Amino acid sequence: MKFAEHEAAVREAMALPQSRREALKKMGAGFGLIGMAGAADLAAVNANPLAPKLPHFAPKAKHVIQLFMPGGPSQVDTFDHKPLLKKYEGQRPSIVDRKSLRNTKNGLMPSPFEFRQYGQCGKWVSDLFPHTGQCVDDISFIHSMHTDIPEHAGAMMMFNVGHLQPNRPSMGAWLTYGLGTENKDLPGFVAMSPRAQPRCKLANWGNSFLPGAYAGTYVNIASMKPDAVMPDLKNAKLSRKEQRKQADLLAMMNQHYLERRVRDQKVEAGIEAMEMAFRMQFSVPDVFDTSKEPKHVKDLYGDSEFAKGCLIARRLVERGVRCVQLSHSISGYDIAWDTGHNDIKGGHKDLAVACDQGIAALIRDLKQHGLFDETLIVWGGEFGRAPTSEGAKGRDHDHYGFTVWMAGGGVKGGHSYGATDQFGCSAVENRVHVHDLHATILHLMGLDHEKLTYRYSGRDYRLTDVHGHLVSDVIA
Amino acid sequence: MANKPTTLLLFFCLAVDLFAAEGEAFFESRIRPVLVEHCYSCHSTKAKKLKAELYLDNREAALKGGESGVIIKPGDVDGSLLIRAMRYKEESLEMPPKAKLPDKVVADFEKWVKMGAPWPKTGDAVIATGIGGFDFEKFRREHWSFRPVKKPDLPLVANPKWTQRPIDYFVLSRLNEAGMDPAPQADKRTLIRRAYFDLIGLPPTMAQVEEFVSGQKTWSAVIEELLDSSHYGERWGRHWLDVARYSDGLGGFLDAGALPQAWRYRDWVIASLNHDLPYNEFIRQQIAGDLTEHPKVAAAGTGFFAVGPTYRSDGGDPESKAQALAETLSDRVDTLSRAFLGLTAACARCHDHKFDPITMKDYYALAAVFKNSNVREFPLADAQVVKAYNERQKQIADLDKRIKAEQRGLKTGKGNSESIDLDAAKKQLAELKKTAPAKYDYFHALGESGSADMHIAIRGDLRKKGELVARRFPELFPGSLEELYKTGSGRKELAASVVDPRNPLTSRVFVNRVWQWHFGEALVRSPSNFGMLGEKPTHPAMLDWIASEFMRNGWSIKWLHRLIMNSAAYRMSSAHNEKHFDRDGDNRLLWRMNPRRLEVEIWRDSLLAVSGRLDRSLGGAPVNEILNSKRRTIYGTVSRNGDRFVSEKFLRTFDFPAARSTSPGRTASTVPQQYLFMMNSRFLNDCATSLAGGLRTSSPEIPAQIRAAYRIVFQREPDAFERKIAAQYLAAGGSLEQFAQNLLSAEEFRYAE
Repeated sequence: MKFAEHEAAVREAMALPQSRREALKKMGAGFGLIGMAGAADLAAVNANPLAPKLPHFAPKAKHVIQLFMPGGPSQVDTFDHKPLLKKYEGQRPSIVDRKSLRNTKNGLMPSPFEFRQYGQCGKWVSDLFPHTGQCVDDISFIHSMHTDIPEHAGAMMMFNVGHLQPNRPSMGAWLTYGLGTENKDLPGFVAMSPRAQPRCKLANWGNSFLPGAYAGTYVNIASMKPDAVMPDLKNAKLSRKEQRKQADLLAMMNQHYLERRVRDQKVEAGIEAMEMAFRMQFSVPDVFDTSKEPKHVKDLYGDSEFAKGCLIARRLVERGVRCVQLSHSISGYDIAWDTGHNDIKGGHKDLAVACDQGIAALIRDLKQHGLFDETLIVWGGEFGRAPTSEGAKGRDHDHYGFTVWMAGGGVKGGHSYGATDQFGCSAVENRVHVHDLHATILHLMGLDHEKLTYRYSGRDYRLTDVHGHLVSDVIA
Repeated sequence: MANKPTTLLLFFCLAVDLFAAEGEAFFESRIRPVLVEHCYSCHSTKAKKLKAELYLDNREAALKGGESGVIIKPGDVDGSLLIRAMRYKEESLEMPPKAKLPDKVVADFEKWVKMGAPWPKTGDAVIATGIGGFDFEKFRREHWSFRPVKKPDLPLVANPKWTQRPIDYFVLSRLNEAGMDPAPQADKRTLIRRAYFDLIGLPPTMAQVEEFVSGQKTWSAVIEELLDSSHYGERWGRHWLDVARYSDGLGGFLDAGALPQAWRYRDWVIASLNHDLPYNEFIRQQIAGDLTEHPKVAAAGTGFFAVGPTYRSDGGDPESKAQALAETLSDRVDTLSRAFLGLTAACARCHDHKFDPITMKDYYALAAVFKNSNVREFPLADAQVVKAYNERQKQIADLDKRIKAEQRGLKTGKGNSESIDLDAAKKQLAELKKTAPAKYDYFHALGESGSADMHIAIRGDLRKKGELVARRFPELFPGSLEELYKTGSGRKELAASVVDPRNPLTSRVFVNRVWQWHFGEALVRSPSNFGMLGEKPTHPAMLDWIASEFMRNGWSIKWLHRLIMNSAAYRMSSAHNEKHFDRDGDNRLLWRMNPRRLEVEIWRDSLLAVSGRLDRSLGGAPVNEILNSKRRTIYGTVSRNGDRFVSEKFLRTFDFPAARSTSPGRTASTVPQQYLFMMNSRFLNDCATSLAGGLRTSSPEIPAQIRAAYRIVFQREPDAFERKIAAQYLAAGGSLEQFAQNLLSAEEFRYAE
C-alpha cells in the first residue's frame, strides 16, 4: 500500500459523518438552537482516543490477527522438522545440556507424528497441521525464536506485553494507541478465546498504564451471545424507534447545555459518543453474529469453537478493527498446549485438530475477501518444548528455541527464517527474541518500535523496552 | 538576501546538532546498555576488580584504551580492537569472555564506531549519564522543586478588593501581569454544589441550596458543616486511595492472592482524614505505623505498602524469582517516591536516573528498607485470642494429616504403625472444626524482617550483585550520606526523612495534589513528578507560600481546605470567556474555575442520591458487585487488574485508575461504552424508575413533574426550552421513566461547574 493512499484513507476516516450532526442542527433550529462551530468539531474528534492516527511510515499491514497458542506447542512436533531425533533416539548429546530447571534430563525423543512436504516451497509439516500445511506458500516460519524463562505466566507476559510481569500494556494496546482504529462503531482491539482466558487473563490484552480506551475488549466465544459481547449492549425495554425518540430528546437537552458551556470539548465529545453508542447497539451484535455467513464459508472453517473465532476475526478486520487476539483453548485449561508433559501425542493431537482447519480457512477466506495482503497473522505460543523426553512420552518446557509463524500483510510466503540446532533444542542461527518479533510486527504495521513511546512514571516506555531488532528477512 | 548566509549557517549548526543528538541517542539506546550489562563488571569504576586497566565509563577513558592499547579508533571499524574482540574470530581475542554477543549487537557497535563513536559528554551536562555522578549542589541550586521552601511576600495587586485570602494575591498578580481579569464570582447555587461535590462527593438537596441562596446559611458555615461530615473522609479518602494504588488484591497468577482485610487500610484512611490527622503523621503511619507507640491503630497505615502488589514467580526459575522480588521492591520505591516526594526514583533501578539526580545507589538504599520489611497479618485481637485460634488450627491440621496418612496406608496396604480409628478421628476432626474460634480481626501491615544493606543489582538483575550500599535517603537531600538507616528495616528513619520540614518536596507535592483535587488542575501539572521532566508550577510563589504555611499550621489538611475554599479564586465562575479562552485555553493563569467531570464514584453516588436510593452507611468489608448495591462506590471491591468483578468493568469504563501503580490524577475520557451504560444498564434503569416513581407521587400533572425533576436532579428550575421539549416528549407517549433516565444521563449531570 502506498503511504499517500493510506494517509488519504486516514484523513477520510477522521472526517466526521455529517448526517447526524446536520439532523441535530435542523432539529435544533426549530427550537432556536445554535449549530456547533467547525473548529469545535475537530476538537471533538480529537478527543476520541481511538480516532485513526498516521503511522510513522508506510505500513505493510493494517490489521493484526494474533493466533495465540498458550502453553507452548512443541516445535519439533509441528513445524520444525528434525529427522535426526529418530536416528539418535534415547541418546543425550552434549548439545542438549542446557541450564534449565525443567525436566529435560532424558534422551532425545523423536516426534510421534509423521512429517510430509507441502506446497511449492516443500516445507515439512507434521500431521498435526495438514490444513495449515496446505498454506505454507503463504507463510514465513521463524524457527529461531527464544525467550527469557521456561515458565508459563512470565513467558506469556513476555510474549504479549514484552515484560515478564503483568504490569505493562499489551501489544494490541500499543498498536491501538499508535494507530487508532478505523471503525468508530466497534472496539479497536478485540481479544477472544473459547472457554478459558489465557493465564494472567486481562493482562494479555490489557492497557496497563495506557489510557483505558486501548484495552482489548474480551469475548468468550463458547458462551457468546452476539448482543451481549459487551456490557449493556442491548436495550431490554424499548423498540429502536422509541429509543431513537428518547435519544433525540437527550441530544437536544445536551445541545442546550452546550450553549451554556461554550466550546467545551468534553461535552461535545460526549454528545458524539452518545450517538456512537446508539449505533453500536446494532453494529456490534452484527459483527459477532456468524449465522448469516454463506454455507460455503461455514464449511470452509468447520465447526470448532476456535474456527468460529477465526471467522469472527475475519469479520472484525473486514470492518476495520485494528487488532484481534484469538487464544486457543479446548477444555477450559488456561495454558492449553501444556498438555504435552506426559504424552505429547495425546496432548497435542486434540488441540491441533481443534484449530488447524480454522487457521487454514482464515488464510483462504482473507484472500477471498482481498484482506490477506493488509492483515498480518501471527501464530505461536510463549515458548516451545524440549526434544528430549519427559517421562516416557512427554516433553517439558523449552525457552531456548521455538517456532512462530507469520502470514499475510507484508511477510514473505513459503519462507523459513532462522534455525535451531540439528535436534531442535536451541535457536542457533539468526536468533529472534520475542522483543525482535514485537519490533517486526510493529514495523509491518508502520510503527518504529523505538518511537512508539508513552511517558509514564517519569520515563518513556516502549513495547520493546530497551531491546528489539527488526527481523527484516521475513519482510516481503 | 542579506541574512541568507546567517540562515545557512544557522541551518548548518542545527544540522550538526541534530546529527550529534542522533549519534548520542544511538549510543544511549544501543551501546550503553550493552556496555553496562556485559562490560562494566570488569571495565568500569564500579567494577569490583578492574581488568586490563581498561575503563569504559566515558568516552575519554574508552578512547585512551587499556593494557592492550587503543581499542576504539573512531571511524575505523576493522582497526578497532573492540570490534575485533566482539567478532570472536581471533583466538585469545574474544570479548565478552563468556560468550559472543548476538550478531546484531556486534553490528550496532560497528555502526557506532563508524559514526565516530559518539558518546554524550559527562560532568557539566544537566542530563546525567550515570557515570561521573551528579552535581547535586547545582541541582539543589537550580531546579525549582529541590530548593528549600521559603515563604514569599505577597505580591502587589491592582485590585486588592477582589482578594479574600492571601493566596488571591498570587492569582490576581499573575492575571494582572497578563492583562487579564478573574472571572466574576459564581452564582450561589453553583457554589454550594461545587462545595458539596468537592468535600463530600454528593450533591446538596434543593432545600440545602435554597437555605444558602436565601442567605440563611453563610459560605463558611457550609464549608464547616461539610468538613465535619463523615462523608468528607469518604470523598478525600478516595483521592488518596488513587495515590496509594489501593486494591483488595486478587491480582491473579503472578501477584498476591486476595487481601481480604485491605478494607481496614481504606477505613483507616477515611478515619484519619475525618479526624484531620496532620499530614506528616499521616505519612509517618503509612511508612512505619507498626513502629509507633500505638501500633494497633497506626500499623493499619502501613497498608499503604502492604496492599500493594507483591509479585511471585511462576516455578523455581531463578531469573523469574529474582524478577518477582525486583518488581515488588520497585513498586515500593516507586510508590514511596512518587506519592510523597514527586520523584521517579524507580527509574534508577537499572541505571542512574537519566534526567534527575537519583543514582542507582539511592534506589538500592531505599529498596533495601523494603527488602527488610515483609507483609504480615497484624492481629487486632488480644494475644490470648490469637493463640487460641492458632492452637486450634494446628490441632486441625495435625489430625487431618494423620487421617490422610492412615487413608494412604490403607490404600497401599502398607498399614501404619500408629494406626488410628478412622471413623472416630474423622468425627473428632469435624468437632474440632465446628467448635474452632472464628478468625480474629487483623489487618495487612508491614513488619520488620531484617536489617541488612543491599547490593546494587547490575542492570536491575538481583542475581548480578554490584556494590553494597548503606540504607539511607537519596543523596539529593543534604545530609543523607551521613544519616544512615540502622534501626531494623530503617522504615522509622525513612519516615522521618520524608516528613522532615527541611525536605523541600513533601509539603509542595501534597499542597499541589490538594489544589488539583479542588480545582481539577494542579499548579504543577505533573503531580507525581517534580523532577526535570515534570512540569513547572504555574504559580511557584503561591505554591511555596501555601507549602510553608501548611507546615506552620501543623500540616492540617482541613486548614488547607479552608484556605482554598474561602479564597476568591475558588469562588470564581467557570463561565466561558472568549477572549481569555483564546489566550489561555488551558486556564493555567486561573482566570476561571475549571468545569470538572465528576469522577465515576461521585457520579454514581449522586445518581443514587437524587433517585432516593443511596445507602449512606460508612466503612466495613467491601461489596464485590457494587453495581448491585446501594452503597457508596468507594466500598466496591477493587481487584488489582480491575477484572475480577463485573462492576469493575463499569468503573474502568469511567476512568477508574488501575490499581497497579500510584495514580497522579484521573483522566476524563469519553467513550461510547459510557453511554451504553446510561442507555441500557440495569443500574441506570433502576435509578430512573425510582426517580420517576417519586415524581409521580409528587404530582399527577406533567408540568409539575418536570419542574420537580429538575429541582431534584439539578437543584434548579427548568427554563422555558427545557419545559417545552420535555412536555412535548411526554405528550407524544414518552414515559416518565425514559425522561428521568435522560436527566440522569445528561451531560449536565456529569459535571461540577
